[in-house]
Amino acid sequence: MDFSTTITLNGLIQQFLVGLSRTTILFIVSSGLSLVLGVLRIPNVAHGSLYMIGAFLCYSISTLFGAGSTGFWLAVILAPLGVALISLAAERGLFCHLYDREHLMLLLFTFALMLLCRDAVKIIWGSNYRSLSPPEILQGSLSILGMPFPKYNLFLLGAGPVVALGLWFLIHRTKIGKISRAAAVDRDMVGAVGINVSWVFASVFVIGCFLAGLGGALVAPTQNITQGMDHTIIMEAFLIVIIGGLGNVWGALLGALIFGLTDSIGILVWPQFSIVFPYAVVVIVLIFRPKGLLKATW
Amino acid sequence: MRKIVSAFTFMCVIVGLLAFGSLSLAADEIKIGIIDTYSGPPSSYALDVLDGFKLALNKINAGGGVLGKKITFVTRDDKFKVDLGLTAAKELIMRENVNILVGTINSAVTLAVSDLAQKEKVPFLVTYAKSSNITGAKGHKFVFSMNENTEMIGKAAAIGLAKRPFVNYWIAGDDYEYGHAVADAVWNHLKKLKPDVKLLGQSWWKVGEPDFTPYITSILSAKPDAAIVATGGAGCIPFLKAAKNTGFNEKVPFYMHTATELSTMKPLGLDAPEGVIGTSNYYFYYPETPENKVFVEEFKKAYGRDPSFGSLIGWFTANFIAKSYEKAGKVDAEKFAQALSGMTIDSPAGKLTVRQQDNQLMLPMFMGVTKKAPGYDFLIATDIVTIPAEELMPSIEDIKKVREK
Repeated sequence: MDFSTTITLNGLIQQFLVGLSRTTILFIVSSGLSLVLGVLRIPNVAHGSLYMIGAFLCYSISTLFGAGSTGFWLAVILAPLGVALISLAAERGLFCHLYDREHLMLLLFTFALMLLCRDAVKIIWGSNYRSLSPPEILQGSLSILGMPFPKYNLFLLGAGPVVALGLWFLIHRTKIGKISRAAAVDRDMVGAVGINVSWVFASVFVIGCFLAGLGGALVAPTQNITQGMDHTIIMEAFLIVIIGGLGNVWGALLGALIFGLTDSIGILVWPQFSIVFPYAVVVIVLIFRPKGLLKATW
Repeated sequence: MRKIVSAFTFMCVIVGLLAFGSLSLAADEIKIGIIDTYSGPPSSYALDVLDGFKLALNKINAGGGVLGKKITFVTRDDKFKVDLGLTAAKELIMRENVNILVGTINSAVTLAVSDLAQKEKVPFLVTYAKSSNITGAKGHKFVFSMNENTEMIGKAAAIGLAKRPFVNYWIAGDDYEYGHAVADAVWNHLKKLKPDVKLLGQSWWKVGEPDFTPYITSILSAKPDAAIVATGGAGCIPFLKAAKNTGFNEKVPFYMHTATELSTMKPLGLDAPEGVIGTSNYYFYYPETPENKVFVEEFKKAYGRDPSFGSLIGWFTANFIAKSYEKAGKVDAEKFAQALSGMTIDSPAGKLTVRQQDNQLMLPMFMGVTKKAPGYDFLIATDIVTIPAEELMPSIEDIKKVREK
């Protein structure tokens, strides 16, 4: 085995920053998943599909407006809203009839939904590969500590905390946040004090799916927008949610940080077997804290 | 008990009738069964192959078919999975009574189907899988490779790279068969041609890796002279994007087999990095021969897009089939296989021959460098160097050696 790669401090810091920007996407997607899991108790396997649809919508809206900067920013706002709309229809039309069923049924149902979404994407967008350019000002790279750092990743680095703050505000400072926290603990009691639980659930579900769409839209310029985007992300998102603590949004943040950073540092330290690192950490966490790092709402 | 027996007899009769029905149907047509991945990211390539195949087939049938019979085909989606591909192949042979099998893009599926084809004595023309085992260690008289393979890629890349001044290399790629096979082949041949090359390190990522930036930054901090990137299919696009965004291509020249292919360059548009070294068996803009121009025009007219290498594979596969039946003189698997082995046809990429000894199609390879060009809304390959098929085919002695093992 060749360990001769010299690891410099600059390289390490650089790798840390790149890992952080990757964490942003993981956090955005998995916090949405965690929110839905915590409040509605739905293990939404179709969450990854909504992420994929977000990316495809971002591509389509952006090209509709001429693929320039304006088109991109508009798409980043509109695509998650589109996904939210789809999820609202799914919640009102399908999910709201299923809340009393056991988890296994819900799991199977969301799995079916995932397959449906996959085929819908294939029918609507076809099987060609698609690629979207980042807006003009975010193209290329900056030099940080003598190493190139993509400007778009820098933008993601900024977007992460904004989303986290927004979520914090939503959960702790708004009425719907308070109700949904209460509903997560005891949904019958919330209903008993005269609150329309059904609509609380609907809004939480839509917010969770909005985050999936936002993740997809933000990741679009860095990726090949294609079928199959869904299953990589959903695996990682579930792992993050599990190590963070089921249903705990801050657990998702912690999980995303651990997953993203071990991944990127692993790539620097032992690039030949880097795939193992994040998963090894998941195993270690689960051995010592089988219920996740932070308090699970389940 | 009697009920069960009579039910069983009834079923036997029905099955027998069905089998007889399709047999009698098969007599006035030649039926081809195509197994390929028509869902998920690889479907982009599979559909190119299918369209090229249809284009050629329509022309053959419009001219009266072969041996007075029309050539028809049915397709099955293997979803990139071995079990599904194998089930589909069995079903095509047993129920559809196909005369020939064609497909697939997945090497594992291809090797499984090839095994079945040998047992069932059904000729199998491989359209996109690139494992050198198909016509190498696992080759037999009924399997034909209509594509280049990882050994040929490795040899071609090594010939091209050895001429360049790089010494310290980094290898990176998809952590599955194709990635490792390409990387090993390039590296082994390169070491033979230029013994002073050094390997600084390797990175391997999972298939479907979404973001390559952390890999690229870690390669950059090792400062190699050049990198060999063994990623294929859908992974090429995000890798090239990350390369452009980090300026990787300006700091470390890198080779990626499919980098210059239309399937990779077209989706990226003008967003692709320049100066990437790639190899391909076909460009619609090169060679500029009348045959190629006619093919491009016909393909564009039929499907509204430029043909990729996959489209060409589909096109000549259909033509090889028609020509072989003509030469065989009747619809017979054994005779067909004999006729196809060693056959030469004219194609948009020049004369193409199926090598008699191992049934591997002899394809020349073009090494080029990505560049923006006026008149194209995507990057094209420039400074194209042709590496003739004779130079990059695995030697017959090597084939004999691996087959004996």
